Amino acid sequence: MYEFDWSSIPGALPFLWEGMKVSLEITACAVLFGIAWGTLLAMARLSSIKPLAWLAASYVNLFRAIPLVMVLLWFFLIVPQVLRGVFKLDAGTDVRLASALVGFALFEAAYYSEIIRAGIQSVPKGQISAASALGMSYAQAMRLVVLPQAFRNMVPLLLTQAIVLFQDTSLVYVSALADFFGAAYKVGDRDGRLVELLLFAGAVYFVICFAASQAVRRYQKKLNAHVAH
Amino acid sequence: MISIQNVSKHYGAFQVLTDCSTEVNKGEVIVVCGPSGSGKSTLIKCVNGLEPFQSGSITVDGISVGDPKTNLPKLRSRVGMVFQHFELFPHMSITDNLSIAQIKVLGRGKDEATDKGLKLLDRVGLKAHADKFPGQLSGGQQQRVAIARALAMDPICMLFDEPTSALDPEMINEVLDVMVELAQEGMTMMCVTHEMGFARKVANRIVFMDKGQIVEDDDKDSFFGNPRSERARQFLAKILTH
Repeated sequence: MYEFDWSSIPGALPFLWEGMKVSLEITACAVLFGIAWGTLLAMARLSSIKPLAWLAASYVNLFRAIPLVMVLLWFFLIVPQVLRGVFKLDAGTDVRLASALVGFALFEAAYYSEIIRAGIQSVPKGQISAASALGMSYAQAMRLVVLPQAFRNMVPLLLTQAIVLFQDTSLVYVSALADFFGAAYKVGDRDGRLVELLLFAGAVYFVICFAASQAVRRYQKKLNAHVAH
Repeated sequence: MISIQNVSKHYGAFQVLTDCSTEVNKGEVIVVCGPSGSGKSTLIKCVNGLEPFQSGSITVDGISVGDPKTNLPKLRSRVGMVFQHFELFPHMSITDNLSIAQIKVLGRGKDEATDKGLKLLDRVGLKAHADKFPGQLSGGQQQRVAIARALAMDPICMLFDEPTSALDPEMINEVLDVMVELAQEGMTMMCVTHEMGFARKVANRIVFMDKGQIVEDDDKDSFFGNPRSERARQFLAKILTH
C-alpha cells in the first residue's frame, strides 16, 4: 500500500507561489489580449468587406482546429528565434514566457472572437439604425452603442472562458516553464513525491476554478434579474 | 425640403418600391399610410439612407442621398428619425441618451448637450426621469424620450416610422400629442402611421401606398372625403369602421 507523505509541500510553498504567479500572469495577459484581438476578429468576420471576413474566418477556424499544446510547442520553437532576431537579444535571455504569452493570446483570440461575434449579433439591429440615424459613423455606433451592450451580455461567457484558459495554462509545461503545474511537478520529481504534489496541485486548481465559476454563476443570476426588470 | 423622384428598390427579384415620387415642402406634414408590406417603412428609411435604393433619386435640403460622395452621417445628423421600437440605448441613462450624439456627432460640450437634452425632456413632460434608464420607462415614455433625442440634434425635418404601432393603446395619445405640437410649431414631418385621427388633425397631404407603389398623393380632405382608388377606399373602410 502506497504511503502518502505530504511533508515536502510546506517548504515548497514559496516556489509553488512563484509558479502560480506565472500561471496567473499568462491567464491575465491571454484574456486581455485575446479579448482585444478577438474583438477585432469578430468585427472583421461580420464586416461586409468579403476578403477581410474570409481572412478572419480562416484564422478562427485554423486555431480552433488544432490542439493548443501544438500551438504552444510551435511558438516555443519559433517565437524565441524571431524575438532574438528582431530585438537582438543574446542567446541567454529567457523568452519562454514571452513565447507562451504570444501563443496563448493568439490561440485564445480565436475562441474569444466567436463569443464576441455572438454577443455583437445579440444586439438588435435597430440599435445600429438608431445610432446611424443620429449621425454616428459605423465605428462610433459600434464603439458607443453596440459593443458596450454586447460585452455586458457576454461577461459570464468571457469569464467562463477565462477559467478554462487558467486550466489550460498548465500546458506550458511543454516549454519547461515553471508555471504552477510545472513548479509542482519539479518539486515532486525532486523529492520523489510526484503523486502527492500532483494531487495537491489538482486540488488547488479545483478550488480556484470551482470558486470562480460559482462566482460567475451568481453574477449571471444577478444580470438576468436585472434584464428581466 | 425632401424630394423623392422615381425611386425603385428590390431585394433580388422582389420589388419593394416601384417608381415612387413625392415631395415634402418646408413646414409640411405628410402622412404615409397603406397596408402592411406596402413599402412605406422602406420608403421612409430610404430618405435618410438607412436603406439603399437602386434607381431614382432622393434629395434632402438639396443634398442627394443616393450619391456615393454624400457624407451620409452628416446628412443624417440633420434629419431626425423616430422608430417603431424606440431604440433608445439601454445601457445609458436618459440624460446620456439625449446628449451622446450631440457630443460625439455635433461636437457640443457636455454641459451644453446635457442642458439642451433636459430642456427637451421637460418639453415632452419627462424631466423627472432624467436619471433613469430606458428599461425603467413605459413604452410611451420611451418614445417621447426618443422624439426628444432626435430634436436635440436641431433637425431640419423629422421622419417617424410607425411611432405608435408598438405601444399599448392607452399610451398612443401621449406620443401623438407631442407630434401634434411639433407639427403645429411648423416642423417638417414625414410620418408613416395608421393614426388617421392624427392625419386628419395635422397632415397637409396623405400618401397612400400599396404593393410598393404610391397609389395616391393628395391633400387630406380629398383623400378622406373622396379617395380616387378602389384600394384606398377599401383601406379606409377597414381602418375607419370601428
